[in-house]
Amino acid sequence: MIRKDIVLAFLAHEMRDLRSNTRVLPVFLVFPVLALLFPAVIVLFGDAMVAGAAHDPGMTAMLEAAHRQPEFAGLDLNQALMRYALRTVVGFYLLMPVAMAGTASAFSIVGEKQQRTLEPILATPISDREFLVGKFLVCLAPTLAVTWATAVVAILLVDTITLVRLQAVLLPDRFWIAGVGLLAPLLGGAVVLITMRLSARSVDPQATVQASALAVVPGFLVVFGVFGKLLISSFTALLTGIAVAALLDVWLFRRVERTFEREEILTRWR
Amino acid sequence: MRGSVPRVIEATALSRSFDGRPAVEGLTFRLPSGSLLALLGPNGAGKTTTVRLLMGLIRPTGGSATVAGFKVPDADLGGRLRGVCGFLTEAPGFYERRSALDNLRFFARLYGLSQPEARLQEQLKEFGLWDHRDKPVGTYSKGMKQRLALIRALFHDPRVLFLDEPTAGLDPESALEVRERILRLKTEGRTIVVCTHNLEEAERLADWVGILRRHLLAFDVLSAFRRGRGDRTQVRIRLAGAAQSWREAAERCGGVEGASAEGDCLLLTVREPRSTIPGVVAALASAGAPILEVGNESSSLEAAYLACIRESA
Repeated sequence: MIRKDIVLAFLAHEMRDLRSNTRVLPVFLVFPVLALLFPAVIVLFGDAMVAGAAHDPGMTAMLEAAHRQPEFAGLDLNQALMRYALRTVVGFYLLMPVAMAGTASAFSIVGEKQQRTLEPILATPISDREFLVGKFLVCLAPTLAVTWATAVVAILLVDTITLVRLQAVLLPDRFWIAGVGLLAPLLGGAVVLITMRLSARSVDPQATVQASALAVVPGFLVVFGVFGKLLISSFTALLTGIAVAALLDVWLFRRVERTFEREEILTRWR
Repeated sequence: MRGSVPRVIEATALSRSFDGRPAVEGLTFRLPSGSLLALLGPNGAGKTTTVRLLMGLIRPTGGSATVAGFKVPDADLGGRLRGVCGFLTEAPGFYERRSALDNLRFFARLYGLSQPEARLQEQLKEFGLWDHRDKPVGTYSKGMKQRLALIRALFHDPRVLFLDEPTAGLDPESALEVRERILRLKTEGRTIVVCTHNLEEAERLADWVGILRRHLLAFDVLSAFRRGRGDRTQVRIRLAGAAQSWREAAERCGGVEGASAEGDCLLLTVREPRSTIPGVVAALASAGAPILEVGNESSSLEAAYLACIRESA
């Protein structure tokens, strides 16, 4: 059984720490700014993109892809392209938790080692699982809070612009809801678990961030490069991606569980 | 509540190996409630491993123990046991950027204390840290951090306290202060285990003494332990010149169990000092040793401890 109070204690503690951590904070500021900028540019300059499409083979291909979407069939070119382009931004919202969660969890776990707070924590009556779940959630929660809050602001921003300019509300569509709402946390969770595992053998948070980034970000980019187009054009493919990510999280959680046994931490962690 | 549970530590053949290498082996002892045990031993002797075993932090590879009525290893490996134990870790281990109060509040929640404020205020005042409660722990002196760590070990009112090197690295004033706190805790009737290298400290604090070097070499009431090895005394012989060249000559004398040289002083562990010392002095003098002074260092815990460790070597 996992006591809610314990998890909340970790959460409250970590959120305070995060606010004053000058090495983590920039990551939590840069990504949201970019995540707001991309959709805003799309809806502000969509007309110009359509106008220039005739001279740009890339844009022409995108336009064709947009038009092939059955949902966009009845829309004018401008709107169809905007909606399609906005869907591609989901990819960035999936990258956000991947990048942020790795940084937050590296500092969270290795930070405990550096401050030698692990043994006092483990000497309290909390269970191994409470410690693992507490740490997992505190690493994931700030990332998700920022990702989701940014998504809400982006949706409001895009809709305000499109309401004024096109008299239409474009977001959120079901790809945004499933992608940002479900796939993003699952990917973030996977990154947290991988980083937690790497943290067990590290004493330098920066090195852990780099190792985690090397292990995760290229993999993410390759997977998104291969399946990205499919994920934003087929909802079934997106749901399949969500199911695969959920299975990956469960598998990783079980692997990490042993690493986070009290005994393992006290006797094997450096 | 406190009175209903036996406040005693009992270990039976308690052992722990790491990757097949034994860290502690066959520890068997019984510590009555309300006692203060000084667990002594050289570096790597297994003191911290023993404490971790007794706290239920790691599982034994052999034997068992009972602490405050809880069995080790327990099915849930010590969640409840840790609730009745306090642990002062070797390093204080605080979040340096956070205030003392923030740190304590966090740990209080992990201990499941629902209304910790009054207790924290009382403890911070008692340990002289109330005026510093809002300062980041990183600005604290070592002594202040150690007092704060003691508060953390105590605020859930534990029956058994494990203190790992409580005065290590402290200046004499801070060390004295921490020792006085420990003595006060002892008068409150808690069972306390102190791991230390500081024999003087052990002598001042302990009722019981355990000498550990993977095995428990000795476990006894302090006075009985000293008496049991009471015919051993440490003698300091000051010479006009380096003492090293006379060490072997001293060691060859009857009744001398160990000799070491420190600058111009020979430090001898001798059996039956009344009969041995005159013989040693005569032998050294006849060999030409320029003796300036002979002093009876102690018939202390130090001599008994050193004899015990040397016997085991």
